[in-house]
Amino acid sequence: MRNVYLFFFLLCGSGPLAFIHAQKINLMKYFPEQYQSYRADQWLDFEGEALYDYINGGAELYLSYGLKGMTGCKYNGDGLPQVTVEIYEMTSSKNAFGVYTQSRDREEYDYGQGSQRYDDFILFWKDRYFVIITAQKATPESRDALLHLAALAEEAIPGEGEIPALVAELPKEGLVPGGYLYFHHYIWLNAYLFIADYNIAGISDQTDALLAKYGEADARCYLLLVQYPNPEEALKAGEEMRKGLAPELSADTASIRLEDGSWFTLGVQGNKLAAIFNGQTREQVENLYQSIYK
Amino acid sequence: MESITRRELLKRTAALAVGSSLLLSRPVTAWAQQKDATSKVVLIRNQKLFANGASPDPEVCAAMLDEAVRTLTGQADAKAAWASIIHPNDIVGIKTNEWNSFPTPPELNALIKARVLATGVGEENVSVDDRGVKTNPVFRRATALINVRPMRTHAWSGVGSLLKNYIMFAEKPSDYHDDSCAPLATLQELPAVKGKTRLHILALLAPQFHHLAANTVTEEFTWKYSGLAVGFDPVAVDSVGLRIIEGKRRDYFGEDRPLNPPAKHIALADTRYHLGTSDPSKIQLVKLGWDESSYV
Repeated sequence: MRNVYLFFFLLCGSGPLAFIHAQKINLMKYFPEQYQSYRADQWLDFEGEALYDYINGGAELYLSYGLKGMTGCKYNGDGLPQVTVEIYEMTSSKNAFGVYTQSRDREEYDYGQGSQRYDDFILFWKDRYFVIITAQKATPESRDALLHLAALAEEAIPGEGEIPALVAELPKEGLVPGGYLYFHHYIWLNAYLFIADYNIAGISDQTDALLAKYGEADARCYLLLVQYPNPEEALKAGEEMRKGLAPELSADTASIRLEDGSWFTLGVQGNKLAAIFNGQTREQVENLYQSIYK
Repeated sequence: MESITRRELLKRTAALAVGSSLLLSRPVTAWAQQKDATSKVVLIRNQKLFANGASPDPEVCAAMLDEAVRTLTGQADAKAAWASIIHPNDIVGIKTNEWNSFPTPPELNALIKARVLATGVGEENVSVDDRGVKTNPVFRRATALINVRPMRTHAWSGVGSLLKNYIMFAEKPSDYHDDSCAPLATLQELPAVKGKTRLHILALLAPQFHHLAANTVTEEFTWKYSGLAVGFDPVAVDSVGLRIIEGKRRDYFGEDRPLNPPAKHIALADTRYHLGTSDPSKIQLVKLGWDESSYV
């Protein structure tokens, strides 16, 4: 059913996070000093690790996607809940898209190239920017400000960014809407289910990785699809995963049933690795695997 | 250090004959080592805590805290309970959490400070602080610490926990971010902290069970749990809090939705750093008050 069932014996490890020193961005020139009863009280400007001063450990999410810098503004008004605009500039549009995939619960396109809107916050991605606008509390005034500032932010970012090409290789059938992550830091391997407490798949800033949900909640399986710089690295990672997750797998064994009754498969073709977890049946995992390469 | 894979957990789970699908999304149990010692955690809830609106009722909160501490210490009354924890000659730092979007409720900070003062500690010898703990003169002289913070989901450590709350004592907090904050338990070894903590209080008044962007808090993803969890073992208290967050997530999403990333630092505080107990079967959980949808 597949060309290769991998198995080289090379060690692999994670590389350092990609980090490009920030260049100044000037999106905030598009934002007003005053809007209705709100006034711009505090302009924000953080670069790289200085973001720790602003959001502590939460900055690591953005740093794991190659943060260049963040600009923003806090709006206050007498008796009004504070409204904050934050515009994160990433090293590439695919990284802004990646942060967005970490930040969505559903498919929605009201702003930018994908957005999420609640009463007290709006977030979206566009080009290489990830934008968050939050209100301390949802009131008619703060909701109005959120909508206005979100529209300004969208207007301030003229271009559009490309979605990583690997996304097009996700099989569409059964894919949960909005149910996949794009990443290149191993921490996110465990986003949907526990896989390993170390970098078992050799994820680095040189790889593109997707973790996707398929099927209904009560019969859900998960696809990990990783593209490596070359076939050798794909094979190396595949062997590491085979040893850690399913040493019984061989060229003659396409999938195996695990101790919890679920089905698992793993394979490498060219520079891509695919692993399917938590299958309800052998057919489910093998059909999903085959559909990747159709 | 031992590395663990999904398969290894499956094998262990099968050996324990425990429901595997739950364990695999919440590896705390399967990671936890077998110990004889138990850690006591008191969880108290009161449905009337938010009866007056968005802020917790200070009187209800005070009654909850006093009863929780009394039960934890086994003393006859609240005064004796606090006196068994804090002594008049102590210098007390109350390590709170002041993150703007989701701070420790000021009512709770004020209440703890009042209880400390009531034990006879001088006003000049008690302080509530977060980001300033390294330079705060009271904290620098502290003989006793009280650790208090709200629980919330966190974009890098899984949850903001009691274990994480001491990160402001570190010279460089980001040194503890490696591997999604796996080494947070080692903060307890810092000289400013080691051996000083008398009480851990996890505020579960209105916890945050989910977030979208890293630093957003929305009402949609918080709920009035109206609880406090207290104990002497921060790992055990965090473990209880984590189960509550996970329970709410299952309830809200209608499916098992693991934290992203997993809050592995709590389990590792037990299995790797031997700081306390994360295994629910080894935690003596005492539940008081309102029990509906308690998730533990």
